[in-house]
Amino acid sequence: MHEYAITESILEIVEEEAIRANSDRVDVVTVAIGELSTFVPDSIEFYFSEMTRGTVAEGADIRFQTLEAHAVCLACGAEFRPPQALCGCPRCGSPLFELQRGQELFVDSIEVA
Amino acid sequence: MKIEVKKNILATNAGLAAENRERLERHGVFMLNIMASPGAGKTSVITKAIEETRDRLNIGVIEGDIASEIDSLAIEAMEIPSIQINTGGSCHLTANMVASALDNLDLNGLDLIIIENVGNLVCPAEFDLGESARLLIASVAEGDDKPYKYPMVFREANVILVNKTDLLTHCDFNLMRFHEAVRGLNPAAAIIELSCREGDGVDEWSRWLLAAVSGGRADLPS
Repeated sequence: MHEYAITESILEIVEEEAIRANSDRVDVVTVAIGELSTFVPDSIEFYFSEMTRGTVAEGADIRFQTLEAHAVCLACGAEFRPPQALCGCPRCGSPLFELQRGQELFVDSIEVA
Repeated sequence: MKIEVKKNILATNAGLAAENRERLERHGVFMLNIMASPGAGKTSVITKAIEETRDRLNIGVIEGDIASEIDSLAIEAMEIPSIQINTGGSCHLTANMVASALDNLDLNGLDLIIIENVGNLVCPAEFDLGESARLLIASVAEGDDKPYKYPMVFREANVILVNKTDLLTHCDFNLMRFHEAVRGLNPAAAIIELSCREGDGVDEWSRWLLAAVSGGRADLPS
């Protein structure tokens, strides 16, 4: 359900960028999403198609680019890709790790006419 | 024509959360964000905290629910200022909702604001409200597997309460398994076992709260 608010923010960003580019039609919106983010692309896509009616992004294609998660163990320094379960470092087992990437959510690019 | 945008979709919320945090720091108010599943006992944990600490702290409450004023009426009945936010379907509170609630509380007269987030273990973890600390409540009736199933919210909590321990004899809840899972995700979080119904552990919970609030405010009497 929280994808509704997220989709509103995406549309705001897209509209601002379209104005800046002097364009009245957006064809493609690419959203980058970290693999540990809880936001669901299918759900964003659903709201996007409804919400963009009558806007510069009506009929635009929304695409998602998944970003791999990355963590650094604070105990042994190992760098690894943490699983969804967020369990500890695969080398030493320590649960103390810094999640450096994997929770991102940003508008990566748009394609305008 | 392709335009590189690279704009954080949660930036608006993050900016508003930072404003809330600065505003609370200016007024010396500690804000606790309580997250839990529906029915874990959020309102009971809050009313216990009020009973135990109201002679030491001036408390205000922000209640987040999809609908109804049931919770804020319960808090108002205790003569504690309470603001009800009805999210109208949204599954979590956002920083702008909390900002409007703060407008309606007398921040100069408060030491502690407790936010009862919408009952949910997924979405609230993604939205910073400007809180000073995050509290997660897990209840015995929900089962001991919740840290395995919802790791993010357990990882981001500063304190975790295990509520309804009076039901331990009736449920297949293995405290050891629960502690192990939480320790594996978040070794820094305090874990407090309590039963709001029987009163066990309520002392420890109120001590944690007083220490947290006074840690955020050096001028409170200890």
